Amino acid sequence: MGASGLAQFQQVFIEESLEGLDTMESSLLALDGGGDAELVHGIFRAAHSIKGGAAIFGFPEMSSFTHEAESLLDELRDGRRAIDGATIELLLRVVDCLRGMFAQAQAGQPLIDAAADALRGELAAVMGRAAPAAATMEAKGGPGAWRIGFRPHRGMLASGNDPLRLLRELAALGELDVTAELDRLPALEALDPDECHLGWRLELRGDVKRAAIAAVFDWVEDECDLAIEPLPPAVPAQASVPAAAATPARTAREAGAESGSVRVSIDKIDGLINLVGELVITQSMLDTFREGANASRLAMLEQGLVQLARHTRELQESVMGIRMLPIASVFNRFPRMVRDIGQKLGKQVRLELAGEHTELDKTVLEKIGDPLVHLVRNAIDHGLETPERRRAAGKPEAGTLRLEASHRGGSIVVEVVDDGAGLNRGAIVAKAVERGLVASGEGMDDDAVAELIFRPGFSTAAVTTDLSGRGVGMDVVRRNVADLGGTVTVRSAPGRGSTFTIVLPLTLAIIDGLTAAVGDERYIVPLVSIVESVQLDDGAIKTMPGGGELFRFRGDYLPVVRLHEAFGCEGAVREIPRGLMIVVEGDGSRAGLFVDGLVGQQQAVVKSLEANYRRVQGVSGATILADGSVALIVDIPGLVRMQGRRRAA
Amino acid sequence: MAGRKDDEARVALPADCRMAAAPALHAALCSALARPACVLDGAAVERVDTSALQLLAAFRRDAVARGVAVRWHGASAALREAAGLLGLARALDLPATQPA
Repeated sequence: MGASGLAQFQQVFIEESLEGLDTMESSLLALDGGGDAELVHGIFRAAHSIKGGAAIFGFPEMSSFTHEAESLLDELRDGRRAIDGATIELLLRVVDCLRGMFAQAQAGQPLIDAAADALRGELAAVMGRAAPAAATMEAKGGPGAWRIGFRPHRGMLASGNDPLRLLRELAALGELDVTAELDRLPALEALDPDECHLGWRLELRGDVKRAAIAAVFDWVEDECDLAIEPLPPAVPAQASVPAAAATPARTAREAGAESGSVRVSIDKIDGLINLVGELVITQSMLDTFREGANASRLAMLEQGLVQLARHTRELQESVMGIRMLPIASVFNRFPRMVRDIGQKLGKQVRLELAGEHTELDKTVLEKIGDPLVHLVRNAIDHGLETPERRRAAGKPEAGTLRLEASHRGGSIVVEVVDDGAGLNRGAIVAKAVERGLVASGEGMDDDAVAELIFRPGFSTAAVTTDLSGRGVGMDVVRRNVADLGGTVTVRSAPGRGSTFTIVLPLTLAIIDGLTAAVGDERYIVPLVSIVESVQLDDGAIKTMPGGGELFRFRGDYLPVVRLHEAFGCEGAVREIPRGLMIVVEGDGSRAGLFVDGLVGQQQAVVKSLEANYRRVQGVSGATILADGSVALIVDIPGLVRMQGRRRAA
Repeated sequence: MAGRKDDEARVALPADCRMAAAPALHAALCSALARPACVLDGAAVERVDTSALQLLAAFRRDAVARGVAVRWHGASAALREAAGLLGLARALDLPATQPA
């Protein structure tokens, strides 16, 4: 098997194993809630597959580690051991640890086992025996580097074992320094290409165990001279290890989610093939008009064009559908997270999930995880009260947190709803005043107050816990969501809880936009950012000292962004009354885009400017208009920020 | 020098440059040793193994000893990666980057 072939299967193994770990985790959580024995079988099967696969694909540490967990599961399965909270907790940590190992494997890093060895010890202790000797010994004295002498016997190549593959596997374990020994290489004429006359001196650096190296040479033990001896550990090379080990569970999940492939069901592919078939039929029908058309066949031409339009639209939808994945893959991480956070904060949380089958664009799906995690953390930390306070308020002790996804029109709506105390108006205003965000809360309605929590640098937690107080706040959530072309808003009722609503576009590949004319050029303004468009008199514009312009809109003064100035367009309308002001909202603030006029509304297929040219400030992409010309898509948040900087400068 | 193309042997490595192709490669390299100069073309190589790289290493060493001028006309990424892993990149004197 070629090494690239093996690597490809390795990738599939990792993806499947990560799914297996998700199953293990959700089953363990179900067991915690009093599930049945069938769950234990499922967990055991998942662990068993991972163990077997890990051994085949060259992850001996992972295999032996999983073996320990499997032994414990075996006892649970046979009823030799009762299923209790402590055991489930331990097994959940095993799942985390394996996720970390997979993340490292995926990144091509050596598997870092300090945590695994500690857990292995705990597993063994639970099962009432000492930890396996090899594991503990190496955990204590595992050197950081190895010198390997490798001299294949002549017949090794003929037996199908290529040193190239072995060295590639070694290189995957750590930093490999290779010196070839050519001294025994005969003259070319005398050389038998089927025999191996080379030898190697290797130095392997990184946190690698002898067992891992030995496993590489497993199949060729009898066909080579092999010497593995420790080198003194290289200190600087190890410095980065603890940092990498700190967040393994998270990275594994993300690495799994953000891999550059997508699994598509056969049904979807068959649907596509059918559609393409239909297109071909339509095309051949239209082809007959090449020989000349006459009026009598006009009806047929019309029919053909209608068909073409329909099939093209269906094909577009189906192809988009390939990128659509259920949001369940994001939701599934929450039961565990909510349980952990709840325990940590001493709060009882009942998690409800709804609409897990709602499908989202893969890119959106990958990026919505972090904002959701933040909202859920916040909801438990700040939203839900402690059991005592809930009891005092006459509510059930367990708070309810609800995650719900649904389609609404052309958008996806994800809501995070808690039945906690709601936003504390007083505390928010006090904080905003302290931070200098507002002068006072006078005259602000509840929505405006709620809006304050999305301002940069805002945090109301009395005690910054390690859960919520990480220096990133709701402003980051809003920016992340805005990057996806979506919006996030909050509604809250004192004593009854808060609802955070994220509205996302179905896909990032197509946006609805208004086409605006500026001089000879056309710009697309994303519909989602448009508040409304107004025609203004000259008098409506106030010029600020320093050159900035403002206009009054519903009691607010908004800055004017003249698109022809921002992008340097020739021949554009300059007089305010002759043009049009599009009021847009981006990044939480509003501005007026001054353009010549509107041309129309259309769906724009987004082409990346970065991929085809380079990043341009204030522009998020480009699209091709019906007449074949290129129109740039205005990046509203970027433009608003740009304008802000210009005024500040 | 430039006009004497006839004296220059040209050995193009196949896309699958592994053991099955080794006898042919061996023969081509042996005959190239008898010429004053040789151009190795490794641009097409997609798969390569130790057997082939060992032949190339022996060829280059012997060519240098006999004063045969050897130069590379392209080396694929696969070829360079394999030579690097086997610690033979220097011995083979592979070009640093592939000519456009």
